Amino acid sequence: MTDKKPKNIFVQGAIAASFIGESIYKHQTQKNIGAHSIFLGQVRSDVIDNKTVTAIEYTSYEAMALEKMHEIRESIFSKYSLTCMHVYHSLGTVAAGEICLFVFTSSAHRKAAIDACEETVERIKAELPIWGKELFEGEGYQWKENSLGV
Amino acid sequence: MTQITIIAFGQLTDITGNRFTIDNIIDTNTLKIQLEEQYPLLKNRKYAIAVDEQIVSENTLLNASSTVALLPPFSGG
Repeated sequence: MTDKKPKNIFVQGAIAASFIGESIYKHQTQKNIGAHSIFLGQVRSDVIDNKTVTAIEYTSYEAMALEKMHEIRESIFSKYSLTCMHVYHSLGTVAAGEICLFVFTSSAHRKAAIDACEETVERIKAELPIWGKELFEGEGYQWKENSLGV
Repeated sequence: MTQITIIAFGQLTDITGNRFTIDNIIDTNTLKIQLEEQYPLLKNRKYAIAVDEQIVSENTLLNASSTVALLPPFSGG
């Protein structure tokens, strides 16, 4: 454990495409970077028993999630040669088609950025206390469950 | 009398609400028994118990200042 305060990763509502573009743009000044890897999670309009998912409402045990994300970040930085890493996850309602997760890793060479990005996404899905409630068209909902990598 | 506040998340909130209290609980094993007596629907749900933001796998002593949370399977991302 370090004494650094965990960074906030939560964004209210969807993550805007313009925000993602802006984040990429901000890295132009860091000329030691040779590769970026980006993962974007998008809310899928699944059809379950003839009911269509129109949005997911995310909630989290925020204090624990930020603590856990801090641990993940430390372990990814110790394993891969990264220049930087940024993670954003939505809370509240995100409509189908909108972005709910943005993971952005940068390194001098591509392999570190790609592998670190993938591992971070997998760990976020498995370890962060975040829950998605799939809201159906009209009314009704079901609680989402993460499958392993499918 | 020790009263412990429990916070619940995800699908468990449909059963228990977001926050409730339980009296006279000394550890997480007795908590589990008491919980399932108070909310029988919890018996067939999968969930982890976190004490002070750490998931506990062994029986853990509780006191009035403990923050206890019930965590169903995660579904972020």
